[in-house]
Amino acid sequence: MLKSKTFVKKTRSGGVMKIVREHYLRDDIWCGSEVCTGCKQESTVLQKDACIESNLCSYPHYLIPDTNVVLHQIDVLEDPVIRNVIILQTVLQEVRHRSAPIYKRVKDMIHEKEKHFYTFTNEHHRETFIEREPGETANDRNDRAIRVSAKWYSQHLKPFEADTEGLKVVLLTNDLRNKQTAEESGFRMSSATVFIISGEEYIKSLIANPELVDRLALSNDEKVTNEITSSKLLYPEHLPLSRIQAGIKSGSFLQGTFRASRDNYLEATVFVQGEGEDGTEVLLQGLQNLNRAVHQDVVAVQLLPRNQWVAPSSVVLQDEGAAKDDNVDEEEEENTLKESATESVRKPTGKVVGIIKRNWRPFCGMLNVSQIKESTRHLFTPADRRIPRIRIETRQAATLAGQRIMVAIDGWPKDSRYPNGHFVRSLGSAGEKETEEEVLLLEHDVPHQAFSQAVLSFLPKMPWAITPEEMAKRMDLRHLTVCSVDPPGCTDIDDALHCRELENGNLEVGVHIADVSHFIRPGNALDKEAANRGTTVYLCGKRIDMVPELLSSNLCSLRSNVERLAFSCIWEMNHKAEILSTKFTKSIINSKASLTYAEAQMRIDDTSMNDEITTSLRGLNKLAKILKRQRIEKGALTLSSLEVRFHMDSETHDPIELQTKELMETNSMVEEFMLLANISVAQKIYDEFSECALLRKHPAPPPSNYDILLKAAKSKNVEIHTDSAKALADSLDGARVKDFPYFNTLLRILATRCMMQAVYFCSGMDSDFHHYGLASPIYTHFTSPIRRYADIIVHRLLAVAIGADSTYADLMDKHKQSALCNNLNYRHKMAQYAQRSSVAFHTQLFFKSRGILNEEGFVLFVRKNAIIVLIPKFGLEGTVFFDSKDKTAPNIVFDEEGPTLTVEQHTFHIFDKVKVTISLDASNIQHQKIRMALTEPVIPGVSVPVPDVEPQAKKPKLDR
Amino acid sequence: MAADMRLPRVRKTLSVSESASHRRDLVVPGDIITSDTGFMRGHGTYVDDDKLTASVAGEVQRVDKLICVRPLKTRFNGEVGDVVVGRITEVQQKRWKVETNSRLDSVLLLSSVNLPGGELRRRSAEDELTMREYLQEGDLISAEVQSVFSDGALSLHTRSLKYGKLGQGVLVQLSPSLVKRQKTHFHNLPCGASVILGNNGFVWLYPTPGQQEEEAGGFYTSLEPVSLADREVISRLRNCLLALAAHKVLLFDTSLLYCYESSLQHQVKDILKPEVMEEIVMLTQQKLLEQEG
Amino acid sequence: MAGLELLSDQGYRLDGRKATELRKVQARMGVFAQADGSAYLEQGNTRALAVVYGPHEMRGSRSRTLHDRAAINCQYSMATFSTAERKRRPHGDRKSTEMSLHLKQTFEAAIMTQLYPRSQIDIYVKILQSDGGNYSVCVNAATLAVIDAGIPMRDYVCACSVGFVDETPLADLCYAEESVSSLSVALLPRGGQIALLQMDARLHQDHLEALMEAAMTACKGVSKVLDEVVRQHLQEAAVLNVCP
Repeated sequence: MLKSKTFVKKTRSGGVMKIVREHYLRDDIWCGSEVCTGCKQESTVLQKDACIESNLCSYPHYLIPDTNVVLHQIDVLEDPVIRNVIILQTVLQEVRHRSAPIYKRVKDMIHEKEKHFYTFTNEHHRETFIEREPGETANDRNDRAIRVSAKWYSQHLKPFEADTEGLKVVLLTNDLRNKQTAEESGFRMSSATVFIISGEEYIKSLIANPELVDRLALSNDEKVTNEITSSKLLYPEHLPLSRIQAGIKSGSFLQGTFRASRDNYLEATVFVQGEGEDGTEVLLQGLQNLNRAVHQDVVAVQLLPRNQWVAPSSVVLQDEGAAKDDNVDEEEEENTLKESATESVRKPTGKVVGIIKRNWRPFCGMLNVSQIKESTRHLFTPADRRIPRIRIETRQAATLAGQRIMVAIDGWPKDSRYPNGHFVRSLGSAGEKETEEEVLLLEHDVPHQAFSQAVLSFLPKMPWAITPEEMAKRMDLRHLTVCSVDPPGCTDIDDALHCRELENGNLEVGVHIADVSHFIRPGNALDKEAANRGTTVYLCGKRIDMVPELLSSNLCSLRSNVERLAFSCIWEMNHKAEILSTKFTKSIINSKASLTYAEAQMRIDDTSMNDEITTSLRGLNKLAKILKRQRIEKGALTLSSLEVRFHMDSETHDPIELQTKELMETNSMVEEFMLLANISVAQKIYDEFSECALLRKHPAPPPSNYDILLKAAKSKNVEIHTDSAKALADSLDGARVKDFPYFNTLLRILATRCMMQAVYFCSGMDSDFHHYGLASPIYTHFTSPIRRYADIIVHRLLAVAIGADSTYADLMDKHKQSALCNNLNYRHKMAQYAQRSSVAFHTQLFFKSRGILNEEGFVLFVRKNAIIVLIPKFGLEGTVFFDSKDKTAPNIVFDEEGPTLTVEQHTFHIFDKVKVTISLDASNIQHQKIRMALTEPVIPGVSVPVPDVEPQAKKPKLDR
Repeated sequence: MAADMRLPRVRKTLSVSESASHRRDLVVPGDIITSDTGFMRGHGTYVDDDKLTASVAGEVQRVDKLICVRPLKTRFNGEVGDVVVGRITEVQQKRWKVETNSRLDSVLLLSSVNLPGGELRRRSAEDELTMREYLQEGDLISAEVQSVFSDGALSLHTRSLKYGKLGQGVLVQLSPSLVKRQKTHFHNLPCGASVILGNNGFVWLYPTPGQQEEEAGGFYTSLEPVSLADREVISRLRNCLLALAAHKVLLFDTSLLYCYESSLQHQVKDILKPEVMEEIVMLTQQKLLEQEG
Repeated sequence: MAGLELLSDQGYRLDGRKATELRKVQARMGVFAQADGSAYLEQGNTRALAVVYGPHEMRGSRSRTLHDRAAINCQYSMATFSTAERKRRPHGDRKSTEMSLHLKQTFEAAIMTQLYPRSQIDIYVKILQSDGGNYSVCVNAATLAVIDAGIPMRDYVCACSVGFVDETPLADLCYAEESVSSLSVALLPRGGQIALLQMDARLHQDHLEALMEAAMTACKGVSKVLDEVVRQHLQEAAVLNVCP
């Protein structure tokens, strides 16, 4: 049957267009139920025995949720108890328009076999398709479509009622009007009965699962009745979308991503994407102006008049109020923000007028149990400080207290101080290592579930051996003296090196990279999983693998004395390290030794050793030094960041010692050759595939980024030039202050913070390839395919380029490639954050066991009411506050220009040496933090006396 | 002035004879007629992989070993002796080009026409220069096919007093396959007009001339006014022709005459109305059948 | 989420068809009396009118005359009201010229031009309403018109477009679906020879085979419909021809 669909659409230019689309109505769409014998379906989804125990429905039934039920109660629907649900196409489409994440979750549920979710394509069904009537809104039509389909189902299943103990269809709707209309239109009267129940009633009626009620999202009408906050409206109304769009078009509003400040809950910035690359930031201050926007939302902002512009405050402010529903203190806090700011530092300031797109996800955090015992309303504090606290309703408060839980936001009415949400699930008790690790993985969106069977099925079968065919295709390099150099304890060895003298006097240098792309074939589940994970995440004492262990630690790991498949990059160089020729090939190698950096260093230094491995290493080392010098001459930056390592107790896996990572000559030796390989490969794949090469770039930072560095250097009378990478590198090298050997490192740490993020990109989508930090015109990642997915793609591209492998569609599609890059960049960033969080957590554990320590540190930044101190020994950064709530604030003067901070008589500059006590502040179990207090210089009323150091907490001796 | 307007609709087909049963002898392009190699390939067929395949949609005709497919509708395929009506499109050296609804324009050689001054007159260079005075572009002629060139083009001649330049009248262009081959294609109809049914589907309707003027050599055109009655008859005949053609009735003097007679109860302008057309053609066909039977 | 979901998980397309299903095809032959051949064809909401004149004497410049076969002259045009946005298309806009050229190539492969040396065959196609697959519809309509004109052809030429969405080839794209990389194939269905294969977008060669397969199947589907139309027309016309 053919129906023509006609509708009128407004074009972008304002004209009116009539669009006619065909719509074919079918009679071969089946109901998907096991009981039905009338439909000629091949497989059924809905069970015959569809029992969910419920007070309201004692008979087996299928559920048909309407759009709002799906949108709001998705957490409940996801529960394994809820089965045999019919998702109508109308509902699915509406969900798709309204919320992409929920749409994805619904789709996941539909794919899950055990859930027995069935999608009924009612819009294409001859009997359930309805046309929009004149005067009917799109929403009403959809509601009617849902009702019609429910009715159809009920009639369709009627003949089988006898066999199935009265199988029925239950329509779940929260919309009162919809319910009424449904009842009026004779649903109950008609021969087929459809029961219409509101979502809440239904869930409450479930006998076996009372805890599901907690997950119930608050619906609108409930919020009206259960008014808790004062009737006073706290926030201005959000504008409707149409006005926002008009505003954006006319330029009176700006659209951007809302980014809450980590340090100050009353402040946020909105990043407005401008023309091309540049964007502007709009500052927002105060609850009214933030107007219920949550971190990562897409919002519309309106700029305030220029005279109301303010400067970003340097105050560190946390929403401390325990369960403060009243907003008395806040005004005070807000006032602290509005202090004098000189004209020059004022930034464009605005206010949020509407939310274009919410970006809510379930948040990890902890429950602040309400003081009133019987209360079922509690505040939830997310782990991420940029997320406001959320009010939830639960009866399990007692059990949930002290646990890490997940909570989803349902909405934020304008008269409520906090958003309303509901409980999703519990992660475990707080403070426990497993729970905390889980939290930080979840918070950083790191996929960390065990690999599924589907993924594992693509692994090679053990015992694995190199097949003769494979042997024939590859270059046999087993005779070469290849060795690997890695950090101690490394099991995923993805690179190995060799160097030998050729007969003509030149040197042959080979970099051999594990041939992961041989095992991970494009498009299979293993590949998709790896692409999604993007990178291996290293936490302290834990590794979240990108590929299953069999590959990462065995088949792909270039361990010594086993034959392994490799992708080799072989150069012929002269003794001046000039590359004479480059060759890429798939190969077979047999590593002769897996060394640690220290072992390799020892071999090089030990003049008595002259075996092949050692000579090879010496050759490499010699070349590496030349390469490094050349690179630095070109303007590559040597930056610094303190990395710490924990020595773990082998049994409890608790950190027992902390060590800053050391750099040895061999570190840089390996690094040099990896860089060289990466650059060579980048050039090769770009030459071959100018449109779809996956490259890595590091944009030059905008000059303003260097402000802090320049100011800091100036305070020590050191001049830093930032006009080019070369100038920066040179001036950093020259920056030395007498009696302050650590100054240079500190400066480099600061310089690192000025840098932009290096990112992956697809060569067809960008024109700027420059890698600023390495001073290389082109760069990519080739050398760690075990732990980075980008390298796998590069391997595939290179394999195609040398004719060793065939290409596949997605590899050559620059849009897909670009999307992949975005994911990889995101995963990398998140992996870094997770890593940092993990270090922070372990630092806390470490200090927990150590008690209180006295350490020497340096001022890294000066804020308005605090200084940030770096303890080089632990690579630890901490904040020393000068105004705490319980004490009278000392006299603080902050000078923006320095920047300096004068507390009482003492003035703090950047790089000042201070002494602090370090202890763990466990008062807030959610945000356990390292508390630092000043001991030197002594400022009366501010500094604390040097505490007695407990004997067992002696300064740990670090063996260098 | 009142105008008659109607929406387009699918024309109902008139089937007097047998119902539309499946006829085996109808083929479409690509249909294999026979895989027997003993047959000869005729028009509308080609050999593909030793199989005789149709290249046009139409009916299969078998003459001994020769297999042809005759398409329902096609351009004029002239044969020697065919009477054609054509229009001069070009004047070249020693010849005229004539559009005759054929695949290529036909040729009328200067040597194949009767020039004024007797049959045995020598064609001089001067005649070549004055060709345009006899026939110029746009003129209509009647002629006979003298021969067929190898590329399929026709050579015409007008060396009979029947043929030559046409004067006042009406030209109707129809499908050549509708014109029935007969002994004569010149008819003086009893209703007061004459018709030339060209084999090429061009039909010329003109008032019956009073007497033949020999001397004109076929190049004389009478410009005397034609009487209203004659014009009405001619118009009626034209519409009748169109009606017959619309219903795919073979054209010859009798069918035209019967149709004319059947149409008399209607006004000339009404004949082309589908329902009237249908009625008239029905009557004509009945009359034809009666006469036959 | 932006964009339309062209193929749902259940395997239905925007308009309710499955991936391999064609749109409804309706056609009529011999719609004009004056032309040698003519046809009107609807494929879903795409409608086209094709008219054929010839073979006839070369008109215009004699220089194009081919001495061993007939020259084919194609002209493609779109009615101003054919698209949602009214647009005047003055003669010879680039897209039409290209389309004309494609049509010409297609029919040169199918028509037995060698039978008509030094003559010319004109094929005029006009899109009355455009809803995707303009080329295919034009080819299909023109095929019918050529058959109606009684011009010998090796076989029907059937064309169909196929697109590639979610690793699935979609047959006979409508306008909304044409945003994906699509491929147009003109096929002589009986022999399986390809008269024209055209694609503007990038597609990986791995997918090409599957896409071609789908295209051929779709073309054969179209040919069945055309075949029915031609036979029907033949029956009607032939019946009338039998008397005397």
